[in-house]
Parts: sequence; C-alpha cells; structure tokens
Amino acid sequence: MTARSQKPAPSSSPSVAARIRGTWSAGTRAFARGSRVPYIVLLLLLVAFPFIDGNQSHIGIAQDAGRWILLALGLNIVVGYAGLLDLGYAAFFAIGAYSYAMLASGQFNVHVPFWFLLLASAFIAALFGVILGAPTLRLRGDYLAIVTLGFGEIVPRVFRNSSKFTGGVNGIVGVDQPFIPKVFGFPGYHFLFNPVPYYYVILAVLVISILLIINLRNSRLGRAWMAIREDEVAAASTGINTVTTKLLAFALGASFSGFAGTYYSAYLFVVTPEAFSFQAVSIVVLIMIVLGGMGNITGVIVGALIIYALQSYVLVQLPGWLNSLQSSINLPFLQGVDLGSYAQDSKYLIFGIILVGIMLLRPQGLIPSAQRKVELELGTQDEAVADLRGSA
Amino acid sequence: MGTVLETRGVSKRFGGLLAVNEVDLQVEEGEIFAMIGPNGAGKTTMFNMIAGLYKPTSGQILFRGKSIYPIREFWRNYTPLLAGYYAVADRVRRGLGFGPMPLALRPHAVTTLGIARTFQNIRLFSFMSVLENVMVGEHCRMHAQVYDSLLRTPRAVSEERRVQERARDLLKFVGLERYSEEYARNLPYGHQRRLEIARALASGPRLLMLDEPAAGFNPQEKVELIQLIQQIRSQGVTIFLIEHDMKVVMEISQRIVVLDYGEKIAEGPPEQVRNDPRVVEAYLGKPA
Repeated sequence: MTARSQKPAPSSSPSVAARIRGTWSAGTRAFARGSRVPYIVLLLLLVAFPFIDGNQSHIGIAQDAGRWILLALGLNIVVGYAGLLDLGYAAFFAIGAYSYAMLASGQFNVHVPFWFLLLASAFIAALFGVILGAPTLRLRGDYLAIVTLGFGEIVPRVFRNSSKFTGGVNGIVGVDQPFIPKVFGFPGYHFLFNPVPYYYVILAVLVISILLIINLRNSRLGRAWMAIREDEVAAASTGINTVTTKLLAFALGASFSGFAGTYYSAYLFVVTPEAFSFQAVSIVVLIMIVLGGMGNITGVIVGALIIYALQSYVLVQLPGWLNSLQSSINLPFLQGVDLGSYAQDSKYLIFGIILVGIMLLRPQGLIPSAQRKVELELGTQDEAVADLRGSA
Repeated sequence: MGTVLETRGVSKRFGGLLAVNEVDLQVEEGEIFAMIGPNGAGKTTMFNMIAGLYKPTSGQILFRGKSIYPIREFWRNYTPLLAGYYAVADRVRRGLGFGPMPLALRPHAVTTLGIARTFQNIRLFSFMSVLENVMVGEHCRMHAQVYDSLLRTPRAVSEERRVQERARDLLKFVGLERYSEEYARNLPYGHQRRLEIARALASGPRLLMLDEPAAGFNPQEKVELIQLIQQIRSQGVTIFLIEHDMKVVMEISQRIVVLDYGEKIAEGPPEQVRNDPRVVEAYLGKPA
C-alpha cells in the first residue's frame, strides 16, 4: 500500500494502553511495509513448482489458471477501479487471440514472432478498447453494461462469419508455437506442447502485470479512476477529464486481455470463435472479481483461483465423487438413483448456488479492498477508549 | 483588481421552465460576493452553468475576460482520435437531419482555468481517504502521464510526494490534518464541508464558488466557517457564495445579488439589499 503517515503520537505521558497501541501499530506498519518477504517466498515457490511437481497436466492447469488471473486483473481495472460495468470483456480477449492467430500462422502465411505480438496485441486490444469506449462515454451503469454486452457478442460473431480471414466456425488451426531463437550461443528452444515453458511465460507476464497494476492503483490515474467511480460529477468538477480517464481505463483493461489472448492462442495451437462467448469468458471473469473483492488485487487473484477451481475441477469431479459416495454408504432409499448424472445435469445450478451462498456470506467479496477501513475503524475505536480512560 | 467573473445575459431553459433569465453578474477580484434568493430562484443552476455542468441556453460567461466555452479549447481537450470520431458523428448527424453533434460539457476544463466549487449536497469521494480526496483536487495541476503512472518514473514519484505534501498543508489549513487517513464518509458533517473546501482549494483556484457552505451548521460552526472563508480570501482567492443564512451573508459579503424566479431583482452592498422593497417582497410576500 501507499506510504501511510502515522498519527501524531500523544505527546504527554503515554499511558500503558497508548504504549501498547504504539507497539502494535508499529508492528502492523512494519508488516505492511516489510511484507515483501512472503511474496518473494511465494514467487520462488511458483518458480520452483515445475521442478517439485513433475506431473505435466498439473502444470497445464496452473498455466490455465494464470491466464484467468490475468484476465481478471485486466477487468478489475475497468470494473473495480473505474467502476465501469463491462460485460463484453471477452471481445478484447478474442481480439488478442485472433490478432496472434492471424499474424502468426499459415492463415496468411505471415509468421510474426510470438514475443513481439505478445506486446503488440496488447496495443491492438487497447486500441479496440478505445474504439468501444468512445461511443459509450456518455452512458452510465446499466446502459453501459448493455452496450458492452453487445460489443462482446458482436466481436466473436464477426470472427465467426468472416470466414475468409478467420477460418469461420472452424477457426484458425496451426497457430505458431513460440520459440526462443538462437542467440549468443544459446541453442534455441521450441515450446511445442510442453506446458512448462508456457507456465513460465504466464508467470512472468503475471508478475509484471501485477507490478504495473499496483503502480497504477497508487498513481494520479488510479486516483482519478476511483474518484470517477465514487462520483463522476464531483470528479469532473474537481478537474478530472472524465473522457480521457475512462478511455484509459478501457484501453489499459483491454490491453491485459490482449496479452492473455495471444498467450491463449499460442498455447492451444488453435482459436475458434466459440471460445469467447459471454458465458464462457465475460461473465466468468466478472464473477471472479466480484466474488474475490473488486478493486483489490489479492482478492481478484483469490477469486479467479476459486472460480477456476470450481469450474474446471470441482464441478467436473462432482458426479464421480457423488457416485463413489453413494456406493460406499449404500443407503437403501438411494439405490437406483443416479446421483452422479443428476449432478452432471444440474452442474450450473450447483455453481449458481455456491455463488449465491458466497455472496450472501460475504457481499463485499472474499478479500475486499475495504480491509483498510476495518483497520481504521478499529484504530479509532481504540482511541475513543483511550480518551475515556484519560478523562476518568 | 478587475473583474474575475462576468455573466452577460445568461439564460437557462429546462423544457418549459425558464430557470435563469438574462442574468448579468460581475464578480470583482478579491471580494466576497454572495448570491441569495428564495428556493428555486435559479442560484444553483447559475453555479452549474459557471462550473460547466450545464450549458447556458443563451448568454456568455467570461472568466477573466475570456469565455469559458471556447470551441477551440474543446477540440484541444479531446484526444485526437475522439475528435475524429466526433467530427464524423457530427457530419452523419447533420446529414440525417439531427442537427449538429452536441458538444459535451467540460467541467474539468473550467476547473483548470481556475474556478473551483463545492456542492450544496456534499459530494465527496466517500470511500477514498481524506488525504486522497484532496489529492484528487490537485489532479488538474499534475503532469504525470500514463507511462509515468504505469512505470512509477522518478518524475511521478517526486510529483506524488509534492502533491501529498501540499494536500497535507491544505488539510492543516482547514483543520482536518488528524483525519487524513480516515474515509471521507466517516467524517462528521461539518468536517465533510471543510474537506470539500480543501478539495476545491487544491486545484489552486482564483475563484472559489461555495454552494450553501453553512447549511446545517450550528452557530459555533458558522463562526468558524466565516473565519475560514475570510482566511481563504486573504490569500487572494475571490469568493462567490450562495447562502440562505442571512446572518452569515450580511456579515461577510461585500456585495450581494438577489435572484427571484430566475431574474436578478437587486444587487449591491448588504445594507442596501436588506432594505430593498423588492427583496423583502420576494422573501416575505407582497403586503396585503
């Protein structure tokens, strides 16, 4: 977090309570400031992960989760920071994916290197973010959501129908796989279908993205976004150019999904328009950030991991679990009932119930950005008690 | 000395309602100028037009002799891409017979010119800290670009530090320095009004417009507010305020203008306005 000033310490004869409070707050401050250590340990663990766990499919899952985190972090800029409800985020993801697939495949026989396009597609997606943003600037709330929803539906449809360029329903198959070229005596390395190098790419992109987003959050631009989210009229009257600020939110949010899109098509080796539908991407990413805690990077990451685990592990495994549970407890009235297939059929119902349950328990998200608020409220309560003691 | 703000025949029509009718005002540099009138007289509409939130139906608003609605300024403020979009949209609209593209109003440009305001119903950024609220006020005086923000360049860091320092000074000036890390919405009402003033001052205005600053204040708070306003003025900021509390208005303002049903009915120093029969009539009604 930003450098936080300490409250002026009470000058005359600190009471025991005040002294304890002082030590306590010094401790929390030191933790808040010096808490890079756990992050570095976590990062080292993540770097070492492929060496610890030799199972390639686990690493494949980890890199896929990383892609979702990247998408969630990007949408968090638009929805969490600037407060613009964007239901068409999949469009930018699709644009990122297709710009790599079209510029690095046999489709037009163009083969631009992956590393260059990883950056370039972020700019392409950002450009489309501006193009979407420009006409929607006068819209707010629900209306903005509808327009972005429309954009999110249009883009994959355009990719599907312009089959001359995009391969239509079948998409583009045979997208180039990244490789590290031979330079300075390095032998060169082809990624092929090995998930490990992809894992390192997404890890590196994530680390850089998180650092950039933290910088944004604590900058002039980040403050302007939050001001617009809180009260747009007041923000404009306070001297914030709401037009450019909102456009920048769209552009920067989109650029992260441009990274994710390029990465995704390179990893999958193929892009199809069906992969970018509303229910497959836009709404899932939105759920991730709402559930995790909008505006809080840690919350968003946790939310992304939980939803990813729910969708691609728990719900997939649930029928099997239920079947084995049924056969092991063997209750008479359950005989002849196929719990597993019920669970299979009502997969989305279960998913929805879990989501409703979490949101009822924690409407502010799992790790809300208002953690600071709790801390501050506790701080002032503390002070009130100390004041009472002082006057008694 | 000179005229800071001038309105020439400014009118605003909302559908069938003429909210402000041909109002001429002149706010002189360094004075405390008050606008009073019964509810619905068009005072806040007037404020909103000056601040760029509404566009006047007719008339001119000049800040230090220059119009605050210059078309050229409008184009420069838009990103080139958006200007292109507007140009195309404008041509399409004209072609289809919808008339020209309405120009979006640019309140931030007015603030950048040097006019800052507060709101009648307090509009703070509730879930931002008190310090951040004031720092947002300095936004239009900052120079950090997107890449500075992304990469946290030395320029951005030093600017950030400078802005934070200045925000703390301003908080000290309005007496809120010990709440700087508190959420704005957790402040008591009176402090929120002061914070709004600090945020407005952060943009370094020449003209500060206060919309009912004493609303809901007790007598003690009113005295403190009057002191604060006079301190601000002594730093060379011209004050233009709307106020219902006659005691406050009569005590601090050099000149008063009275609006009723959107029209200017009186103008002058407090004693003169107080005894003006039209003003008495507007407030108390016609003698039977």
